[in-house]
Amino acid sequence: MSHDDHVTLESRDLTKTYHSTDPPTQVINGIDMSVRKGEFLVVMGASGSGKSTLLYSISGMDRPTSGNVFLEGRDLTSLSDTEMSRVRLTRMGFIFQQAYFLNNLNIRDNILLPALKAAPKERETAIARVDALLERFGIAHVGRHGITQVSGGQLQRASICRALACEPSILFADEPTGALNSSMTIEVMDALTDVHREGTTLVMVTHDPACAARADRVIYLRDGLLVDGRELGTWSEEQAMQREDALLAWLRKMGF
Amino acid sequence: MKDSLYFRSAYNDLMKNKGVNVALVVVLVLSSFLMATGSMVMERLVGSVNQLFDEAKPPHFLQMHKGDDDPDALARFAAAHPEIDAWLVEEMLGFDSAAIAWHRPATGGSGDLADSLIDNLFVTQNEEFDFLIDETGAIPRPSQGEVYVPVAYQQRFDLQAGDRLAIRTDNGFQDLRVQGFVRDAQMASSLSSATRFLVSGADFRELGRAGGGEPEIIAEYRLADPSLAADFQRAYESDEALPKNGQAVTFQMIRIINAFSDGLVAVALVFVSLLLIAIALLNLRFVIRGTLEDEVREIGAMKAIGLPHKAIARLYLAKYRVMTFLACIVGGLLAVIATNLLTRGIQANYAEAPPSVTAILVPVLALGLVYLFVVAICRGVLRGVKKIQVVNALVHGSMLDERQTARRAERQARRVRKTSLASYRGGSISRRLAFLDLRAEGGQWVLIPIVFFLATVLMTLPMNLLSTFESPRFVTYMGAPESDLRADLQFSDDIDAVREDVLSSMQGDDRLTDVRAFANVLYETQGEGWEILRAEVGDYSGDTVEFLQGERPEPGQIALSVLNANKYQLSTGDKLTIRQGGESTAIVVSGIYQDVTRGGYTAKMQGEATTGAAGYVIYANAADGADPAAVAADYSERFPVATVIPMREYVQQTLSYVTGAFRSAAVLSFVFGVGVAVLITSLFLKLRLTRERRKMGVLSALGFSIGEIIAQVRGRTILSVAVGTLFGLVFAATAGESLVGLFISLAGLGISNLAFLPYPLLVYVAFPLILIAAGYFGAVVLTARLRSADKSGWLKG
Ligand SMILES: Nc1ncnc2c1ncn2[C@@H]1O[C@H](COP(=O)(O)OP(=O)(O)O)[C@@H](O)[C@H]1O
Ligand SMILES: [Mg+2]
Repeated sequence: MSHDDHVTLESRDLTKTYHSTDPPTQVINGIDMSVRKGEFLVVMGASGSGKSTLLYSISGMDRPTSGNVFLEGRDLTSLSDTEMSRVRLTRMGFIFQQAYFLNNLNIRDNILLPALKAAPKERETAIARVDALLERFGIAHVGRHGITQVSGGQLQRASICRALACEPSILFADEPTGALNSSMTIEVMDALTDVHREGTTLVMVTHDPACAARADRVIYLRDGLLVDGRELGTWSEEQAMQREDALLAWLRKMGF
Repeated sequence: MKDSLYFRSAYNDLMKNKGVNVALVVVLVLSSFLMATGSMVMERLVGSVNQLFDEAKPPHFLQMHKGDDDPDALARFAAAHPEIDAWLVEEMLGFDSAAIAWHRPATGGSGDLADSLIDNLFVTQNEEFDFLIDETGAIPRPSQGEVYVPVAYQQRFDLQAGDRLAIRTDNGFQDLRVQGFVRDAQMASSLSSATRFLVSGADFRELGRAGGGEPEIIAEYRLADPSLAADFQRAYESDEALPKNGQAVTFQMIRIINAFSDGLVAVALVFVSLLLIAIALLNLRFVIRGTLEDEVREIGAMKAIGLPHKAIARLYLAKYRVMTFLACIVGGLLAVIATNLLTRGIQANYAEAPPSVTAILVPVLALGLVYLFVVAICRGVLRGVKKIQVVNALVHGSMLDERQTARRAERQARRVRKTSLASYRGGSISRRLAFLDLRAEGGQWVLIPIVFFLATVLMTLPMNLLSTFESPRFVTYMGAPESDLRADLQFSDDIDAVREDVLSSMQGDDRLTDVRAFANVLYETQGEGWEILRAEVGDYSGDTVEFLQGERPEPGQIALSVLNANKYQLSTGDKLTIRQGGESTAIVVSGIYQDVTRGGYTAKMQGEATTGAAGYVIYANAADGADPAAVAADYSERFPVATVIPMREYVQQTLSYVTGAFRSAAVLSFVFGVGVAVLITSLFLKLRLTRERRKMGVLSALGFSIGEIIAQVRGRTILSVAVGTLFGLVFAATAGESLVGLFISLAGLGISNLAFLPYPLLVYVAFPLILIAAGYFGAVVLTARLRSADKSGWLKG
């Protein structure tokens, strides 16, 4: 197989059909895409166009109906469930629209959970790393709180901490700001931009052009097909307005 | 219009959640089935017994007697007692089972009745009362050469009309043709130790002349007022001159004995049914609460448009009404079939009660009660609808109001503050998680331990009861020593000679050790007037009998059975006056023991097994290597008048009437217990897993494998199952034992302090393992499909 050193994640002729419906719904219709190492890629498209399905298929949560997914040259579709779980644990991080925390654990324990599971032998390092993350994202003071006792922004930042707890090589986010108000959205996007700057590869689904404007590249999905993509270049605070305007113009052309 | 709305809503709901609803209906069907069967069996039993009593007119008091008697004394007694409506002395000839053979000319088949341990008494039909009744309810009067055989034998040896019966007399065989079969109100019960054959007067005289039969009489009385039978019995027993060497029975006792032996099945069925109903109700509660939680938004919306909470509750209740109603109908129909099977024996032994209103009314009433009770509980759980607040329901999807929400958050926060994965060492993180979840959500899981607790009790109690009554050690409840062999010598003219023979050959037999003879001696004692007291006189040294209170009798002392001690209100150390041959002595009660034989009324005295007794019992142990069954067979052959059997067989035969019922109950409750355990575990996990989808999705995204997630679910299941089972075992062994003991002692069998004699491996090892395996099986089935699922779907739902 061909393997470009700069490509972290790659999909080839990926399709996904749900057979639980009658007739079966073909949601992804053959997608070839690649994510460069260290890239911040945003996936956009109308609601129901298959963005989430794509995200879960390339991240190994769901098995694609056909096609292959390669992570750092390794074919994920050939792995067993246990091996795939291990990949998700150590190489991937997930952020969802809702924080989805386990409510029988406090915030810090929720973040510690994957870290301790990944490296039970190196507990101290894992704990130190998680505490540093809590500090960095400004939520160390709520570490022992229950998940109902913190704000939505704090919770989503905690999600980012949890996703980073095992130092993954790629981060997946499915509308991470979808349930947040505008100030919390900025709070969370700043954190994600920060993570990206540190070198983490990021794949994010969003509806919000302002959030999408932060990406290096945007791809657009329609009816399970990749219809177009656009390079935006590295984001900076100063050019935020221009990038957003240009992106909006493009999106309108796509029929967004 | 409104009704059809309710019905449609119920129908949609039933279809939406098929698996869960089917499981619920199955449990409900089982409960109503057992309840209906239990009540129908009871009703039929009572109906059949009454019917037979109506037809046969059994005596209100009877006294059996072997040996000489004084007919004049009986006539004098009858003349002096105006309360007697009618009386008779029935003459009988007892033949050993081995002396009766049958053959079938049509097929050439043949056999004998030797397997039967009970006495076979040949009689003629009575004129005034105590009739033997044929299968049509008529009073048969055999002609010469004909015999009517007890229905019990018809079933046991598969006899038919037209078979020939050959009775061995001292003058060769007397041949009779089986003309039909008779039911016997007096001796119908499986508890009875004798049974009657009906022959013509000529054949009866012929049998008597030929010899080989043991003459016996029954003095029978019908009273103007049957409720005075007990007083009458006292009057009879205090009259010196009357014959009394045999059992005395009142009308009431016959009834109780009948009801007890065959009614036990019904009682067991109702007991199992009650436990199942408890399980069904717990489930309903669990399911209804889950439904309310799931549909809290819809309920909020209904409330918002102004539907009163009662109407909403009714909407939900409709479904459970339909389910319970269907279950009662199906259970009732199944019960009709089961009852017909179960009561076949009852019908044959007693009579077929004519179809009556009560036969329908009783099960319908029982099922109606089940229905009303279940619906009432559902209604109670649905009262939760009233508390749902529109805003909280619609906005937060929560059943709780602000205060409850705040309190719950507070509680959760307090709990998670204390836990810390960072300080937790050892064990897998997955297991730790399962444990924390179980601790936090114990309330949700509590259904499983409770159900397994009940299932364990349900399975263990009948089994323990069965093993107790089947155990050879049960002889300690029969006032007998734990020996290997028992020889029974009934009264006959040459009984003392026979006893000498048997005893001396046994003592000289090196296959036997520790041979002890006991004499059944009749004394009289002062109750309300002089009453018969049966004592077994012999050597009790070496602590052969277990005493509940006090100890074995020394010479000049007496030990009493529990029922006798209660009857005369005596305890250890008290004095009792006894009389024999007009001579009274006061002796000290040395101890009290449990005994179910002879109706439970016995006594024991230390002394020589003197001659002139009404009968003898000889106990012996088999020497090392000797087979008690072989020795018993040997002695039975050599001494046909003696009944020599291994102790184990004696216990089995004597108690077969109860062990049969207990075995059915044990098998039934085992099957139901395991079945219900699997069913409920599956139902619970089905609902629980839908509720935990979100969490499983998160865990999967975080890198937990499906295998680990499934293991967490299975682990929690096993733990809950194990806890329930353990508590069930402990309960069954302690409170359960006392409860059953209470029931048994109330039954008036002569056991006041029952200690289980369980099969420890079966009950304490196999049963829990089977139950845990059942729970595990449910968990495996329900979690298996998780493997093929798309995990992202869990996050969406
Ligand atoms: N588990 C499923 N079974 C059947 N259809 C599904 C399932 N998940 C998603 N779909 C369908 O696939 C389509 C794409 O869904 P999704 O990827 O969630 O869209 P997006 O995230 O772009 O809004 C939708 O039409 C949705 O109804
Ligand atoms: Mg989506």
